[in-house]
Amino acid sequence: MFDFFNFGKKKSASVAKDRLTIAIMSDRDRTNGYPFMDEMKAEIMDVVQKYVGVRGVEIRKEVDGDIEALAIDVELDKNA
Amino acid sequence: MGIVIAVISGKGGVGKTTATANLGLGIALNGKKCVVVDFDIGQRNLDMILGLENRVVYDMVQVMDGEANIKQALIKSKASPNLHFLAASQTKDKSVLNSQKVEKLITDLKEKFDFVILDSPAGIESGFEHTIEFADAAIIVVNPEVSSIRDADRAIGILDSKSAKVKNGEEVLKWLIINRIVADMVEGGEMLRSDDILEILDIKLIGKIPEDKGVIEASNQGKPIILDKKSIAGQAYARISGRLCGQKIDMKNVEISDSGLFKKIAGIFR
Repeated sequence: MFDFFNFGKKKSASVAKDRLTIAIMSDRDRTNGYPFMDEMKAEIMDVVQKYVGVRGVEIRKEVDGDIEALAIDVELDKNA
Repeated sequence: MGIVIAVISGKGGVGKTTATANLGLGIALNGKKCVVVDFDIGQRNLDMILGLENRVVYDMVQVMDGEANIKQALIKSKASPNLHFLAASQTKDKSVLNSQKVEKLITDLKEKFDFVILDSPAGIESGFEHTIEFADAAIIVVNPEVSSIRDADRAIGILDSKSAKVKNGEEVLKWLIINRIVADMVEGGEMLRSDDILEILDIKLIGKIPEDKGVIEASNQGKPIILDKKSIAGQAYARISGRLCGQKIDMKNVEISDSGLFKKIAGIFR
């Protein structure tokens, strides 16, 4: 009976589910993996620095279907 | 050696402290030795819910700093001799916590109790991180509502990266409690269903708690609702406590209202 009034209008719970799914997916992307990223960067920097001068380290988490990978870029310091 | 369970939520006001008090008491009523610890430094609340606010002499920060020993600071519940309580500091702020002190306190408590339940502060700041760092398991409390669920997901993310167990390559157990379910609204499509919440958060359910006005009345009196055998929320907490103690208790569907159930039964005879 009430469906008559709701005809064509989405129930609010299903709107909530859709909005949440998208918001949480983008939250998870934005935090980009792990809060220990900074510690990891510092350690990688220390290791490489033993052999060659380093200007900076960049780490990104990349997700492609089922495959998750860490892309690590180490920028060298030519002057060191 | 006891199990350490952190009760977390992300968002505040979803019933974390109420859950801690009731599960702690429920576990104690099952015959297990249990301690509940208020980790919400500066915003002590668990004492009120347990009705023990007048008995607090020493708090957990004083224990960590060696100003009091654990025995002096532990307060025995009036409702069960198996339940003990350790208060948060009301005067200090959460910057007094550090990992070494927290680990020492938790190690000591684990030796004395079967269950060590930590009531986390809201948010995902340092106080929260200290609560989850040495936990074996976490109970995540959410309301069927978008902001609570989103914040819970963030809290779970931090749990998965900052927990000492995870860093050691082990798994930290995670259980979800959905609190304040209004069956009529779920039936009307106006409130998220538990299945949807589980799908979004991707964790295991340990219990569903229906909305119950008695919860406020219980906190007014400092008597956890689990003591009220007729209360629907109290019964839900009793079921979850049983599950935590290893009993096999079927999940009750609290998302069907009595009238809805009646309609369904009536439908059979139509």
